[in-house]
Amino acid sequence: MNRMETMEKLSGVHGPAGFEGAVARTAMELLEPLVDEVHLDRLGNVVGVKACGREGAYKLLLDAHLDEVGFIVMGHEEGFLRFASLGGVDARILPDRELTILTDPPLFGVVATKPPHVMAEGESDKTIALSDLRIDVGFSQEEATRRIPVGNPAVFREGCYALGADRIAGKALDDRSCFAVLLETLRMLQKSALDVDVYVLGSCREEINSAGATVGTYGIHPELAVAVDVTFGRSIDSPDEKTFPLGSGPVIGIGPNMAGWMTERLVKKAEELELPYQMEVMSGSSGTNGWEIQVSREGVATAILSLPLNYMHMPLEVIHQSDVENCSKLLAAFIENLGEEAALC
Amino acid sequence: MLKLTRQLCAISGVSSREDAVRDFIADTLLPFASDMRTDPMGNLIVFKEGRKHTGNKLLLDAHMDEVGIMVSGYTKDGCLRFSFVGGVDRRVVLGKRVYIGTERILGIFGMKPVHLSTKEERKSIPKLESLYIDIGAKDETEARTLVKLGEVGVFDGESLLFGNGLLKSKAIDDRAGCAAMIKLAQEELAMDCNFVFSTQEEVGTRGAFASSFSVKPEIALMMEATTAADLPGTPGGKRVCAPGSGVVIPYMDGGIIYDRKLFEQLRCLAEEHHIPWQTKEYISGGTNGRVYQRSCGGVRVAGLAVATRYLHAPTSVAAVSDLGSMLRLARLFIDRIAEED
Repeated sequence: MNRMETMEKLSGVHGPAGFEGAVARTAMELLEPLVDEVHLDRLGNVVGVKACGREGAYKLLLDAHLDEVGFIVMGHEEGFLRFASLGGVDARILPDRELTILTDPPLFGVVATKPPHVMAEGESDKTIALSDLRIDVGFSQEEATRRIPVGNPAVFREGCYALGADRIAGKALDDRSCFAVLLETLRMLQKSALDVDVYVLGSCREEINSAGATVGTYGIHPELAVAVDVTFGRSIDSPDEKTFPLGSGPVIGIGPNMAGWMTERLVKKAEELELPYQMEVMSGSSGTNGWEIQVSREGVATAILSLPLNYMHMPLEVIHQSDVENCSKLLAAFIENLGEEAALC
Repeated sequence: MLKLTRQLCAISGVSSREDAVRDFIADTLLPFASDMRTDPMGNLIVFKEGRKHTGNKLLLDAHMDEVGIMVSGYTKDGCLRFSFVGGVDRRVVLGKRVYIGTERILGIFGMKPVHLSTKEERKSIPKLESLYIDIGAKDETEARTLVKLGEVGVFDGESLLFGNGLLKSKAIDDRAGCAAMIKLAQEELAMDCNFVFSTQEEVGTRGAFASSFSVKPEIALMMEATTAADLPGTPGGKRVCAPGSGVVIPYMDGGIIYDRKLFEQLRCLAEEHHIPWQTKEYISGGTNGRVYQRSCGGVRVAGLAVATRYLHAPTSVAAVSDLGSMLRLARLFIDRIAEED
């Protein structure tokens, strides 16, 4: 399976925060051939283990979350659905937005919008609050209530496409593209003799409260961890100081959330391999699972490696193929002989 | 009728670039037409002889064009600036897909993520001038090579059936009307009919200026998709009409008061034949009818329409049952006009 096919597969399955069952199954299937064993923990995290065979080896946790932003049904009005978001969604992108309602079988829904013909002057300049929006599922009140219970989740209805020569646009690439990075990294390490036991954590619920990473890390009890997540790509309407151009390489985090020596090791490996890389200063919370992982049990030496992504939390998120490639190469180089350096730190 | 409507909706035909829609209709109707021509505005005029030879007396109109975007510039980082073709609420495009030009280059209406926008920014929709389409080009030079200035883009909006007999698609406005007219033109008709598949309705009912002049009808029937706003929280009077409640027979809209006698005839026919019908409870929108009515020595204009939610948005919604009702009522109308003559 090539990179595009992997992305399509991961992007195409559904798993809003708290409802990751389907994406977890797909993640396990993709992970299985690359590790010694795979299991699901009590909260729904996917855990894959690749042991190095050395007595007393350090445990390295590699985290990428599997959940995506989504929605949850709160009530019914004239057959339309009231809803809330699971994770941070900009209400401005919701009018006329197609959704997949995760019933069995899934149903089509579209966020209803008033047509311009009956709007007051200037009304189309204003944001409609999420609490005022409704989903049209084409049913009567009775049928909607029966078929789509309160508490039922929904996700954006989008696919995964090649964009231009070397980018990929897809649903839920935050953070499935980074799970794909972990798969590529494992593939690169297939023939390497490692000196750490690698634990892959496909975590759940990152978009809500990182509960998956919290309990997943506790369960694995690692000494070392790398949280792989997406960061803000640069676009013409975004501030340069907070964003990273797509195609300019993976982004290495630096700040209190990271163990200094791990940040330095990432930089050193990137330079040795002449891989493009960018630095992201995170002076406080990194806003990733790394923040929770770091303070698990007696503490975990943590690094944060990011993939620049445009239009975060929108139905189509965009990444650059070369960043995926370079991020995987950098992570693989970082992992080789990691135990040796960790023992000295 | 449903299959044909879906086929038509799938074709790209932004105002002034209706070629693919016209080609499809011309190919479909070639074996059925008595005469067929394309005028300088691009309108496809299909003349079909009926049992009664009434010449140019009756015209039926449905427009081929749909709303979309036109590329108006480039950004330094390789994205496209654009304008809308036709009336589009810019709130319905953010984050959506658009397919540009005949090569259907994929673009995405970009916007910085929610995390990087201020509370104040999130209260309003970015101005059109600051919106952009990301085509994945690395810089302006590449973008210029891939997409020419003035190129048009259509929304993604594959058709799909959902809920209780609802159809969602782009371009239901007005491929629904085109589909009904194609069906009629394939039948044996009670009188001669001039079917006008018109251009540029969405940018100011432009095509109809030419077709009204060249056909010079006495009676014109508009076959349209009209706006429905039957949403929760919308007061009754502003709901206009509702999908699934029957074909819409308008008495007035933003551009015309329809011929009262023809309105009554349509209403009576619907009731006589138990065809579900409704009218618009709010004066809004407009059709080519406003042009036909005022053309030459004047034309008596009537209208039929399919109630459509989210009109002019990539995902529009209509009821399958209404498509059939519009076709049946139009057929009865032709019979009635033929009897009168």
